[in-house]
This record gives sequence, structure tokens and C-alpha cells, in this order.
Amino acid sequence: MANMKEIHSRMKSIQDIMKITNAMYLISSSKMKKARKNLLATRPYFDKLKSTIYDILLRAPHIHQIYFNKREEIKYEDRKRGYIVITADKGLAGAYNHNVIKLAEEEMAKGVKNKLFLIGQVGRQYFLRKNYVIDNEFLYTAQNPTMHSAREITETIIDLYAKRELDDVYVIYTKMITSMKVEAEILQILPLERKKFERRKAGYSHASFYPSPSEVMEHLVPNFMKGVIYSVLVEAYSSEQQSRMVAMEAATTSAKDMLKSLTLMYNRARQSAITQEITEIVSGANSLKS
Amino acid sequence: MEKTFRLDIIASDHPFYNGECEMIVFLGLDGEFGVLPNHEPMVTCLNAGEIRFKVDGEWKYAATSTGIVEIMPNFVVILADTVEKPEEIDIKRAIEAKERAEERLRQKQSIKEYYHTQAALNRAMSRLKVTKKHS
Repeated sequence: MANMKEIHSRMKSIQDIMKITNAMYLISSSKMKKARKNLLATRPYFDKLKSTIYDILLRAPHIHQIYFNKREEIKYEDRKRGYIVITADKGLAGAYNHNVIKLAEEEMAKGVKNKLFLIGQVGRQYFLRKNYVIDNEFLYTAQNPTMHSAREITETIIDLYAKRELDDVYVIYTKMITSMKVEAEILQILPLERKKFERRKAGYSHASFYPSPSEVMEHLVPNFMKGVIYSVLVEAYSSEQQSRMVAMEAATTSAKDMLKSLTLMYNRARQSAITQEITEIVSGANSLKS
Repeated sequence: MEKTFRLDIIASDHPFYNGECEMIVFLGLDGEFGVLPNHEPMVTCLNAGEIRFKVDGEWKYAATSTGIVEIMPNFVVILADTVEKPEEIDIKRAIEAKERAEERLRQKQSIKEYYHTQAALNRAMSRLKVTKKHS
């Protein structure tokens, strides 16, 4: 019976795919363990960095410095926005890449003069196809984030910002909320904002900056940005592995379910074929007898 | 008046130290900088080099990269890319890094590359300095 053969080959192909998804599940789960370790080691730094900068900005006196210059003279529509978008290098990670790309497109609808800085191949291919303005020399991989690449990214961005080729800089990445839940998030990194009103409310006085506020900020801001970019890369990489692991686990489970129902169908088809054969033999024997 | 303040030293890859401390000396932008309890609120920068801090009358040492320092009367926060104990430093690697950086400094480079190399050399030198002193 042709049906039996069809079912059999279908089962074979599902089994092959299941082997791949299962292998990918194992690989991403071991990669995730490593990424999680890195993330847990970096988290205290990231959290403290954010709270310290917040505290410093609370106490900073008024300074004319490029990192604080909001360039309010430029109209909202005319602002040059830079987006650092972090996606994965490969697909098959569930909605991971899709969520980041969707958020990026929503954000970019706000203005016209957008420039994209892409980390990860999936995002790069997608935005290239859609003809967005992309910085072509900005080539970094999403895998194995290092302090070195974070430093280079920071330098590129600060350089462009200082040259006024960018007015606002955002990072779009995926944050790991709990070990099971990830979410795409946007974070503004430049320009910084002094928390003048919060300071008055909290009753803080200005802290002193040594040797001088602008000199401290000159060193502090790149350092802060480098830390933020590194942490964000670590977080995104960990989320990627997490999403891939979940997606591959789901794929393996549904492959198993399909195999189960196909096995049932196959057995039924086989049984009915056998029954039919027996009926044929019996009726043939009967006709010989008579 | 309290004799100690809370000290938080956090490297980007691990929290290095968290606890009470009597005094800390670190390398600022223009030389060494010592902090005792009840210091005025201050924000400053950390240069790559050696830091030492006193816990229960005993000095502890570490090699750091560049970073940020926030000083408050009752606590001090130090955030740096790397912070290492003298015994954790890989001397061979540091020597190799130093030689590599020196070799690169002899080549013609762009200003950006020059700064990178200089920073790398600085990191290697400060690591070596700390290990030489305390081993």
C-alpha cells in the first residue's frame, strides 16, 4: 500500500529533524550554562554601575560637556538617531531575533535620520534587505562578548557622537528577566541627563569632582558606556542561548508527538493491509474449494 | 567617629571585595589618592595600577584597570574592568602582552591605535609591578 510507504518516509524525515533539534538543544544548553555563568558574574557590576552613575548624575554640578549636551536646538524629526541592535548570528531561536527586529522597527518609525549599528548576522541580513542606513564598518559578532570589542564599540560611537553625526544613541537588546523569560528592551546611552530635580527632591548636595567635573566626565562616560555595552552583550548572548534552548526543546517535543501519531497511523495502515491480504487469500482458497 | 567605611570593589567579571575597610589608596588621574573614613563626597577616576586597602590592620593589594571611583563619607565604590590579586596574575601572559605592546609602539600607527597600544602596555606594566612587589 502506497500510504504505508508515505507514512514511513515522513516518519524517517521527522526522526532526522528531531536528531538535529535535539543536538542543537544539547549544544545550546551547554553554551547557555557558560553564558549564564558570565551573566551572573557581570550582573553585580552592571547593577552597581547603573546605580553609581545614577548617584553621580544626581550630584553632578552643571557642566558644559558634550555628553550632557542634549542639542535641543535640533528638532525632533531632524535628530540623527543611532541604534545599536543586538541580534543573534543564527536563526532557530524562537522569537528572539524577531522581537528585537520588531522593536527596532517600531523605534525607527519615530524619525527619518536613523543609522543602524548591527551586532549579529540575522539582524544585518534583515536590515540590508530592507535598505536601511547601516554602518558597514561596524562588524562585531554576538558570540563570546569581550571587553575588547565593547571598548571598540564605545570608541566608534563616542567618536560619531562627538562629530555630531549622531544626536541620540540607543541600544536595543534582549534582557533576561527570569531564567525562563526574556524580553526585548531599549536603553538610551547618549546623551546623559543630569538629575537636577531628583537631586533637589532628595536633598543631596553636589559632590566634588576631582580634578575637575569635566575631566572626570571625560574619563567616566567612556568607562560607563564600555561597561554598559559589555553587560548588554553578555545579557543578549545569554538570552539568545536561552531562547534557542527553549525553541529546540519545543521542536523536539512536537516532533515526538508527531512521531507518536504517525506511528499509530502507520500501524493502522499496516494492520488493514494485513487484514486485506488475509481476506484475499481466504476468499481465493474458498473459490478453489468450491 | 567610625574608624571604618564600607568598601565595594567590583570588576566586570566578578565582585572582588565587599566589606569594612580602614583606608584605601588607589591611583588617580594624577597620582596616588588615599581615602579615610568620613571623606567628603567625591567622584573621581581610577587609573590602571595598584590599589591597596587596609582591613583589620592588614594591607591587601590588587592590580586594577581603569575605572570609576565614587567616594561618600560612609562608603567607597570602585568599578573597574578587571581587578586581580597579585597571586592571580599570569606573569607570563603579562610579560608577553608587554612585549607585544612595545613591539607595536615601534611601528607606525594611527593615533587611535597608538592609544590602544599605550593602554595595553599600561595594563601589562601595572600587573607586572604588583606581582613583583608581592611575591
